[in-house]
Amino acid sequence: MSGSTPPINWDPMIIGFVAGFLSRILYLRSGKSHYPGYPSGYISQVALAIIAALIGSSIIVSLLGKEFTAATFLTLAATQFRDVRTTERQTLEKEESLILVGRGAGYIEGIAITYEARNFLAMLVALASSLVAEWNDIAGIIAALVFIIVGEKFMSGPRIGQLIDVKPADLRFEKGTLLYVGPVMMMEVGLPDSRERYRSQGLGVILTPKNPRGEAALWNISQRQAIAHEAAVAVGVQKDVGYPEQGTLCRMDMPKGTGSAGLTIIPVERDIDKLIRAIEQTPVLESGKWSRMVNTKNRKEDAHG
Amino acid sequence: MADAPTPIMFAIVTTNKEAVIGGMAPVFVAPNEVERDRIAMWLCRITNAIAHDLHNGTVILTVNQSQP
Repeated sequence: MSGSTPPINWDPMIIGFVAGFLSRILYLRSGKSHYPGYPSGYISQVALAIIAALIGSSIIVSLLGKEFTAATFLTLAATQFRDVRTTERQTLEKEESLILVGRGAGYIEGIAITYEARNFLAMLVALASSLVAEWNDIAGIIAALVFIIVGEKFMSGPRIGQLIDVKPADLRFEKGTLLYVGPVMMMEVGLPDSRERYRSQGLGVILTPKNPRGEAALWNISQRQAIAHEAAVAVGVQKDVGYPEQGTLCRMDMPKGTGSAGLTIIPVERDIDKLIRAIEQTPVLESGKWSRMVNTKNRKEDAHG
Repeated sequence: MADAPTPIMFAIVTTNKEAVIGGMAPVFVAPNEVERDRIAMWLCRITNAIAHDLHNGTVILTVNQSQP
């Protein structure tokens, strides 16, 4: 701005800003199923995206313009984004008591961390693109595209469908009251009325891990709660306050411990394909994303073959 | 619903009085199984409890502490 400095080259800043903003908006699309209250949620996320992209893109320009005060203030503004996680978590935790099949603490934390990280990623994409664009505009645009694609690949975690096989299974009652999905014992239903509802309207699926990561994911109770939540969101659940035993349940094949799980639901929309698709699209939780487990019970059979 | 429910015993409905001895939960004695199931269902719907059949004439009702 002052007369002694050379005129500011705006191109890197614009390229960086657009890249950062685009990267954030692209991730919003994939995260939409988790977000409550679409219009208002979008507005606040878009506003944050603009701020994040602006901060990321203007740091290099202000440093080159020898505006160190401005650069310092920008890093200060960046720390404000730590609050995003807290805000997100609080919103979802408040909502938890208002929905019939909750997300579970693990899922909430995962969503909150992801939202925070994506804001920082938008900032980094903006920063990196503007750095390259400072050298050459065309190279900056190409680099921005590469950064956006790499960021998208890096940030979008695996889905349950990649780790676990989801297959429909029949619901039945053994010994009069024990609800089974295929081989998996789910729970004990004491009321004849509820048993009748499960028989006539219930749907069941069996989840079988495909690989060691699926095995680890399924043993995580938060992961199963997340699966139950996504299933209930997709096909609805005929449940209300006062009908706790008719909710969605996702339980391991427990006394046997084979590593597979069952899920029961009394859906509003009786569509098994939609239910399976929803389960397959459930994100693998951050906490269990990289852990692996091999069930020795299943491995014994493999060793003979 | 929390990740891991923590049920507490809320009530006991039984047709077999000898199978149950006192405790923290009230015991409702029913003359037959139809009446027992009717009482259990009413209590469940009113108090948001879950019924479990113990297969000895007794139905227990539990409430998950973390539920609203």
